[in-house]
Amino acid sequence: MPSRQYATFEVADQLFGVDVAQVQEVLRFHEYTRVPLAPTSVGGLFNLRGQVIDAVDLRVQLGLPSRDLSVPAMNVIVSVDDEWVSLLVDRIGEVIELDDEAFEPPPDTLAGAYRHLIVGTFKLQDRLMLALDARRAADTTVPVPAQHSTDEGRLARSA
Amino acid sequence: MDELGDIIQEFLVESHENLDQLDRDLVALEQDPGSREMLSSIFRTIHTIKGTSGFLAFHRLETLTHAGESLLSRLRDGAQNLNPQSADALLAMVDTVRRLLSSIEENGNEGDVDVDPVIAQVAACIEDPAAPRPGPAKAAEAPAAPAAGSAPAPAPAADEPAGAGTATPAAGAAEAVAAAAPAEPATSVAKVLAKAAPAEPAHPEETSVHAKRSIADSSIRVDVDLLDSLMRLVGELVLTRNQIVRGVNEISDPALARTAQRLNLITSELQESVMKTRMQPIEHIWSKLPRVVRDLSGSLGKQVKLAMEGKETELDRSLLEAVKDPLTHLVRNAVDHGVETPEERVANGKPAQGTLTLRAYHEGGHVIVEITDDGAGIDVERVAQTALERGVVSRDQLARMDSREVIALVFQPGFSTAKKVTNVSGRGVGMDVVKTNIEQIGGTVDVDSTLGSGTTWRLTIPLTLAIIQALTVECGDERYAIQQVGVDELVFVDGQSGQTIEHVSGAPVYRLRGKLLPLVRLDETLGLPVRNSDRDVYIAVLQADGRRFGLVVDRVLNTEEIVVKPLSGRMKDVGVYAGSTIVGDGKVALILDIAALARRAHLAAEAVERAQIDLPGTRAQDSRIERLLIAGIGERRVAIPLDMVTRLEEFPVERIERVGSREVVQYRDHILPVVRLASLLGCYDVEEGETVPAVVYTERGRSVALVVQQIVDIVEDHIEARSDLDDDGLTGSAVIQQRVTELLDVRRAILAADPRFYTEMPETMVGA
Repeated sequence: MPSRQYATFEVADQLFGVDVAQVQEVLRFHEYTRVPLAPTSVGGLFNLRGQVIDAVDLRVQLGLPSRDLSVPAMNVIVSVDDEWVSLLVDRIGEVIELDDEAFEPPPDTLAGAYRHLIVGTFKLQDRLMLALDARRAADTTVPVPAQHSTDEGRLARSA
Repeated sequence: MDELGDIIQEFLVESHENLDQLDRDLVALEQDPGSREMLSSIFRTIHTIKGTSGFLAFHRLETLTHAGESLLSRLRDGAQNLNPQSADALLAMVDTVRRLLSSIEENGNEGDVDVDPVIAQVAACIEDPAAPRPGPAKAAEAPAAPAAGSAPAPAPAADEPAGAGTATPAAGAAEAVAAAAPAEPATSVAKVLAKAAPAEPAHPEETSVHAKRSIADSSIRVDVDLLDSLMRLVGELVLTRNQIVRGVNEISDPALARTAQRLNLITSELQESVMKTRMQPIEHIWSKLPRVVRDLSGSLGKQVKLAMEGKETELDRSLLEAVKDPLTHLVRNAVDHGVETPEERVANGKPAQGTLTLRAYHEGGHVIVEITDDGAGIDVERVAQTALERGVVSRDQLARMDSREVIALVFQPGFSTAKKVTNVSGRGVGMDVVKTNIEQIGGTVDVDSTLGSGTTWRLTIPLTLAIIQALTVECGDERYAIQQVGVDELVFVDGQSGQTIEHVSGAPVYRLRGKLLPLVRLDETLGLPVRNSDRDVYIAVLQADGRRFGLVVDRVLNTEEIVVKPLSGRMKDVGVYAGSTIVGDGKVALILDIAALARRAHLAAEAVERAQIDLPGTRAQDSRIERLLIAGIGERRVAIPLDMVTRLEEFPVERIERVGSREVVQYRDHILPVVRLASLLGCYDVEEGETVPAVVYTERGRSVALVVQQIVDIVEDHIEARSDLDDDGLTGSAVIQQRVTELLDVRRAILAADPRFYTEMPETMVGA
């Protein structure tokens, strides 16, 4: 039976997963260079062994207030269109192998930003894992289609 | 098949190189038609191409080069001399060979390039009917070959009637001239050129041909991608070195310090060596220019000699590529607009032949390329007129520009002073594109011109794109890098000595040596929390988009070499960053795109320009809003621009002391020179009270006091009805608040108090 491995992580207590083949590495990092005037979803830039990596704040992408980057954050570095980009997450989970049969399209009740970024859901034993579209998650040009506007994120940041 | 592909690849690379050399040789040959050595070299090149193309079964290429070879062998053997039409035929052949090669490169075959007209043209140049006919075995030229027999007659290959060609001497492209040439040799471009430099004995190209060949034996070809990745790795190494050196300095371990020192040196040397591998002499792009100048000056009926200095100057190959088009454009422009026609030149007492000089040299980590002509120079008046007509500037703006600034208007989009639009330049595109292209690679363009004696265009180009000199500054706890090439100077606004950032209609400005410098606050522009004090900040005076402005930052850190990292798409979209880099401590810093920043801040340009009028020494023609301090002196009312008022003070009369012929007052631990406006303006019957009001003006630590009788008012008024009565110490008068008010020439008044006020400015530079 065809199956796929997912690297999992949590954002706002929700479990997400991306195809493990897309994940380059996972690391905790704290020194981000802020990018003024960039979309709020751009958390900052950091130096990964001489390479400058954009860190995308998944919280903002999901329509939540932006992350406080003065404390170390967890980076899931994924490769999107031959470019490495970091997704900032709350907590890192395990790599799990899931049968393709357990895959379900996103539920209709899923709204806004979640719906935009999710390709499907997996029912695990005790919880639900949302499979993330890494490309969309890393795309900061699309306005966040959520009620939590970017203004809120900006307020949270400057506070 | 792959092996054959490699051979073809090799053949193409080699042929392209040889053709570049050939172009130069042919033009040089025209100036010294007798040079056997040059002819032999050309012959060899064509022969090589012919041989290889035969082997690779490129038949058209073979036939064409064979035809050229036939002509060349006659020239080489002295059977006939090189005349203009054979030179044109040979150049046309070279061009066709090039077209064939491009077709082979793109499609792997000779495509639909038509070689027959050129073969006919070449054949027509062979004077001896008994000469071996080009490509006798090929049926294709059978009809063309007999043409060689009727050599003295106009070439049958001419596309247009020979009559039309002769009627328009030297008009049109080289081919047209070539076709008409037999009947009208005197007007030929080549002839002009040949006449132009008959005495030139040695040809440097000649020696370089041989030098080049021997170099070829000791060199290898390396894929550019490999060099790029090598460069990237060295970049990383430089950064790592920086971090190590910094780290070691914190640990006091002599042995480790020595090792770090050594690492430091080796890294620098390695960096230099790797950079060198990517370096190519500027000659690579210059080699095409003699041909450009030859063809262009010919078609314009001009005589231009091209001189080159410093062609061995090396540049990173990617930069070389980027400079090629702008350079060609500037050269074409110099021939088209710069150099006058021979008649004009002679009438102006110049030699009929103009000289265009290309000069390249290193200067302070940059390569400077100068294009100098000894032509007519740029007419400032005409530039100003045209700029007005095209709406590039307003009359107001123009009035405040010095001639240099006016000339710089030619870089504005949509500007062209060509009297008539030619097919060469004057289409209104060009200089602005040149400027944009050069700025894109972190360079600058400027122009110097003296009417009647010539123009110099100067390109300042960084040595390499990957590593640049940058100024690092701090703003809102983050570091930013600015390309050093755009930084004119640094100014520290010392709060202690009363220097401040001022505001004109809400726009921040700084008084830099008497001129208002528009400011851009970095924190504000980037949307960072704005600092609440303007004391003790730094201003980086920058040049971008043809404008000068000051960037206000918290601190200036240092200048260092940085490795430029390209931005991801999402960062580019922000629009104010040119790249990023990793600084000494390993943190990422953004490189600011100065021009974009200036645009974003809008620079409040108009407000500042309005304010510029208020400066002493500049006088406006039009009415405008001014903020003025009105002072009373006897019955007279005198207006002082508010910008020239730093503070208002009352001084007790008895504290004004005399030192020699001048008056001073002790003020805040300083001795302040004083001038009484009453005596300056010649009203002596002024009564004084116990104290006198004074206007104190301070500029970078120097102050003067202008004593008046009373401060009447501060007005913001629409000033008109200004009469230009140039009374001593006044710039004129105006009706303000229904009363005639004299406008004080503040600069004069200041100089009356302190003659050295403007000349002795304290040092403001801290670097740059």
